[in-house]
Amino acid sequence: MHTLLASLALLLPASADAGDQFERSIRPILAEHCIACHGSKSQKGGLRLDSREAIVRGGDSGPAIEAGDLASSLILEAVGYGSEPKMPPKGKLRPEQIDALKQWVAAGAPWPKTVVLESGPAGPDPRTHWAFQPVSAPSTPEVARADWPRTSIDRFVLRELERKGLAPSLDADRPTWLRRVTFDLIGLPPTLDEIAAFEADRSDEAHSRVVERLLASPHYGERWGRHWLDVARYADTKGYVFMQDPNYHWAWTYRDYVIRSLNADKPYDRFIQEQIAADQLEPAAERDAIAALGFITVGSRFINNQQDIIDDRIDVVSRGILGLTVACARCHDHKFDPIPAEDYYSLYGVFASSNEPEVPPPLGDPAKHAEYANFERELKVREAALAAYRESKYAELQETNRRRSGEYLVAASSGRDRPNTREFMLIADGSDLNPRMINAWRRFLDSTRGKHDPIFAPFHALVKLPAEGFAKKADALLADYRAKPAADAPINPVVLETLSSARISSLTELARTYSNLLHSAHQQGHELARRKNGGKEAVPLPEPAWEELRLVFERAGCPTKLGLDQLNDLQLLPDRPSQAKLRELREKVEKWRDSGPGAPPRAMALVDAPSPGKQRVFLRGNPGTPGAEVPRRFLRLTSTTPPPAFTRGSGRGELARAVTDPGNPLTARVFVNRVWMHHLGTPLVSTPSDFGLRSDPPTNPALLDHLASRFMSEGWSIKQLHRAIVLSRTYRQASLDRPDARAIDPENTLYWRFNRRRLDFESTRDALLAVSGRLDPTVGGRSVDDMMNPGPKKRRTLYGKVDRLNLPGVFRTFDFPDPAVSNAKRDQTTVAPQALALMNHPLVMDCAKAIADATSPSAGEPKSRVAAIYRAALHRDPAGDEVETALAYLAAAGPEAPARLAHALLMSNEFVMID
Amino acid sequence: MACGKFQPIDGEISRRDLIARGTMGFGMIGLAGVLADDAGISRRASAADTNLSPLAPRAPHFPGKAKRVVHLFMNGGPSQVDTFDPKPKLAEFHGKPLPSPNLRTERKTGAALRSPWPTKKYGKSGIEATTLFEKTASAHIDKMCVIRSMHADVPNHEPSLMLMNCGESRQPRPSFGSWVTYGLGSENQNLPGFVVLCPNGYPIYATQNWRSSFLPGAYQGTYIDSSQTDIRKLIENIRNDALPKDEQRKQLDLLRAINERHRRDRPADPQLDARIQSFELAYRMQSDAADAFDFNKEPAKIQEMYGKEIPGRQLMITRRLLERGVRFVQVWAGEGQPWDNHDNIEKAHGNLGRMWDTAISGFLTDLQQRGMLDDTLVIWGGEFGRTPVAELPQLNGRDHNHYGFTMWLAGGGAKGGYVHGATDEFGFAAIENKVHVHDLHASVLHLLGFDHERLTYRFAGRDFRLTDVHGRVVHELFA
Repeated sequence: MHTLLASLALLLPASADAGDQFERSIRPILAEHCIACHGSKSQKGGLRLDSREAIVRGGDSGPAIEAGDLASSLILEAVGYGSEPKMPPKGKLRPEQIDALKQWVAAGAPWPKTVVLESGPAGPDPRTHWAFQPVSAPSTPEVARADWPRTSIDRFVLRELERKGLAPSLDADRPTWLRRVTFDLIGLPPTLDEIAAFEADRSDEAHSRVVERLLASPHYGERWGRHWLDVARYADTKGYVFMQDPNYHWAWTYRDYVIRSLNADKPYDRFIQEQIAADQLEPAAERDAIAALGFITVGSRFINNQQDIIDDRIDVVSRGILGLTVACARCHDHKFDPIPAEDYYSLYGVFASSNEPEVPPPLGDPAKHAEYANFERELKVREAALAAYRESKYAELQETNRRRSGEYLVAASSGRDRPNTREFMLIADGSDLNPRMINAWRRFLDSTRGKHDPIFAPFHALVKLPAEGFAKKADALLADYRAKPAADAPINPVVLETLSSARISSLTELARTYSNLLHSAHQQGHELARRKNGGKEAVPLPEPAWEELRLVFERAGCPTKLGLDQLNDLQLLPDRPSQAKLRELREKVEKWRDSGPGAPPRAMALVDAPSPGKQRVFLRGNPGTPGAEVPRRFLRLTSTTPPPAFTRGSGRGELARAVTDPGNPLTARVFVNRVWMHHLGTPLVSTPSDFGLRSDPPTNPALLDHLASRFMSEGWSIKQLHRAIVLSRTYRQASLDRPDARAIDPENTLYWRFNRRRLDFESTRDALLAVSGRLDPTVGGRSVDDMMNPGPKKRRTLYGKVDRLNLPGVFRTFDFPDPAVSNAKRDQTTVAPQALALMNHPLVMDCAKAIADATSPSAGEPKSRVAAIYRAALHRDPAGDEVETALAYLAAAGPEAPARLAHALLMSNEFVMID
Repeated sequence: MACGKFQPIDGEISRRDLIARGTMGFGMIGLAGVLADDAGISRRASAADTNLSPLAPRAPHFPGKAKRVVHLFMNGGPSQVDTFDPKPKLAEFHGKPLPSPNLRTERKTGAALRSPWPTKKYGKSGIEATTLFEKTASAHIDKMCVIRSMHADVPNHEPSLMLMNCGESRQPRPSFGSWVTYGLGSENQNLPGFVVLCPNGYPIYATQNWRSSFLPGAYQGTYIDSSQTDIRKLIENIRNDALPKDEQRKQLDLLRAINERHRRDRPADPQLDARIQSFELAYRMQSDAADAFDFNKEPAKIQEMYGKEIPGRQLMITRRLLERGVRFVQVWAGEGQPWDNHDNIEKAHGNLGRMWDTAISGFLTDLQQRGMLDDTLVIWGGEFGRTPVAELPQLNGRDHNHYGFTMWLAGGGAKGGYVHGATDEFGFAAIENKVHVHDLHASVLHLLGFDHERLTYRFAGRDFRLTDVHGRVVHELFA
């Protein structure tokens, strides 16, 4: 964008005079009257007038000036106050100001190099923005305390600490580190055996042995999978739906794909490629990796509003992977980042050309199931019933389109103020015209208006006549046509003759006449084809005028040619009874497909549309005002030339490559920042899903680049990244406060200590289950919805059903993020309802009781029972004073006291905090 | 922008220090707690603020007339021509098409339908209303600011509910109550700051109506099934049946001792303090909440005044919550969409009107006699209104109407005895001084002391606000 501006500036007349003229008369006019609404803060009508480039590009109505061309420069038209819009709206400019503008345009609109008019402080230059610079591989810095670092990461951290005169903290004790790294990597507490083994292992490899054990655990994928699912806005339902089943029955296959991939240490670039384009990679993905596409498809459904669904998909890819807020460019160019609306629609085109298959592909080997054959048979029967119903309704719709074309023409040409049916749903009675079809007919009529149309020219002329005296005026008009046939604008003779003899007296009659003609021509054609070839292919009517009429229903833009696949349910079935019937049939299919005996799990896949459509920019985000056509391609960001257009299908495969290209400065940085955040408690870049111009720079840029470059050079291995971080001495520091250090770096942005943290929702519940022996360690499978009921064996929290529309209260109470959108970072609030849940929830009570029961009185005297309860709940022995406090409590609190003691420990800060 | 970085108060003592130094009640510290942004762009709350005491009271941008809000959500859409925007002229055309164009709504409508209720002039202001809200209008019309020129975007429930509640019809955004609670916190840390009462179940769109979306979960509305009378069914986890109260106290004392010991070795960590306090708050909440929801404690005379039916009970609970410092109470007419009377409007609206008229009239009287009406803003209305024409072929119900409808405000700085704007002669479309839902939001935020353009939250690279890029403060609505 800047390059373009610069190159334009070179072409401009650079005379001192021109600059003077601009400064003397043009800049004051623009600054005083225009920039407030057409500048960087506000862009009414999509128009900016703060740089020459912006003026030439123009707004929704087109370029504001045509340099040197007074007649076609819209800005002059507007200030002339001759027609709408009249600008500036508060009052006409003085004549000398208007003259100055005219002279300026006539002179080619000279604009001094580098001048951008400001309606606010200037933004930084995107070309120098840190996140858009190539990832560097900084050399490992020298540090004063050379004995402290264990790894290169430590050197990057220590250098920043030393620069600020800070020293790192002492190492945490071994049990603290073990608990920290265990929760961190698998989301569960270490077992007593694991603690003992680590305590006993005094070798140099003790720490790395623990890390290897944890990384090899299947629970690792569950823990880190859940972090990724926050980014992926994972949920098991669609949000509010109107006619459909609200459930995503197969969302869990995506969740399990994520767990599986992480456990296998699938390279991150490959992991991302599969999630964008598993169906079109080379080498091909393993078959079940098709479930990866859930990343794109598992978002909210916005009552099936296509623009919103695609927006959600652009958002999850751009913020989730690239750390860019591309969705900000839906209605206008991004206000801060170099993302023009064109680029948003380039990506839009990719997703608009990617469809979800009507029947999601099965996973695994379904045929192995004994009942599979029966399952398939019954499924086909139900699917056939659904398809037959839709086809019958489609046939009806097209029959109506032809038979009642007259009524549609009337409705389409009546200029009544009606709400935009793109935006809202009309419910029709059975006999009503289909409201969506009225729109389709209107579009079709519009398409016949632009250039002379031998059939519709009289229609458009007659429609304009006033109701009063219609018949007379129509006669005159038609007589005119007959009297003065224009060679270059012929009228279809059948149309002219029929209209003339019909003595049309109203719009309704006009439309009916057209309808009869078109329908009759269609019938004749039909009949002729039936006689000639049994109706297999169309046969032209012998009379050219009739043939021209017959072909109207065959025109590409005519609603009669809309295919079944181009109509959504509401378009096809605008009335309630048929909607209900469709829902019933669909439910029968879905129910069987999802849960019939022998039903295989399925992937929430995508496939490319057979022929990717052309994509246009939607001005102001409104699909009703299409702008310029844009190719499907990747974001340009700061590159001087737009990247090449995608050529293969929807372009998803190419998009996946572009996103994970090692030259892409964002993808690796964004991911290592997320991983760092989960390990250390705070990210290096404080806005993990926004690396744009408004984000704060990394607190330690060299460290970020070190992590990112190393991540890529080590084959995008996520497990390698974990090893590098958790085996560092930075990660091993104690979390204790040090007032002197806090005075220098109160937020610990430089990591002079470890950040003490609270367990998140999943780890809290999982830890409760783990210490009480209630945890069912099964990995993967369907989501469960009895998560919070007590029971002997309970699944890990990430398997709980996430209902987007109605998330159980306890989720949000414990800061589980709203799955409506991709989430970068969880809040960590401390509120009374969390305490209430721990105090009173039956599940917590049940876990406490299980601990007490397991440490039954046979454990001996009260003292050893206290010790046993401490060991079970907190995995350590109580100190002397703790035993005393507990004994006093046991003595005072009666027979239930052991369970209540255990319960108190489960609620304690020690239980939920990680030092 | 609460996701912004932590802001030191004066360069020396950080807020976190202040909180850490406090021994009792972290929520009570620094009540003025709003850190004005230097540039005055947006209200800033530090991460420490919103995370450790998300509900601590905070001052708005400027002193607001209203301190708390009650939103009486007549879901389904009450008919304006049958309530506060009477159009006697409909009788002339009853059963016949209107002479003006019949605007397109969700279903097919045709002939004019006169209101079954007569029109009267009420109060000193002489504002006309039908007798459907006879008690409310007789006693309170001079305190009510009747906006007859409301309009929304579409005639469908779902997007209109979202627009009214979250300021956006499709995209996920925080609800109105969440924004207000985020902006002001709450006066009572022992109760949720934003309470939602709806009897028997959810309205359509369920919990999305009171979601906090990208705002922290603490700002989400707490749903109460107000048809329940058992406190255990009212608030999640509010009672522990297996643990008598005195035993729970003993257990929490033990917990406190355990936590204090743990904290001894871990100084200056506000997270630990906050969590210790949260158990004390929760303990008090159990009794306070039970008390707040126990409308049986109201004297018989008061119960009589509100009426014995569910609306009366809901509003008695509402008043008790407001007295205790709850910031925002949203009261729903019922699960589903009770006011959505496409058929038999006379019976259905009649029934709802009768119950709500008594309850609302009693509620406003009660607020006033307790001196609470001055700083409590009451908002009444649906997600849209209804058509003056009937759905054919019957002549007894009305379709949805977003072109024009009525809402009213009372108390909290709203101008009483005032009618703002007007619909056309039949009550179909707003034509004079039109007030869009965004304008209503902007105006209500103004009454609470907020510049709606500055109450923002940075998310996904944007500073979001309730009114998005819209909204105009309608100053004529203010006393």
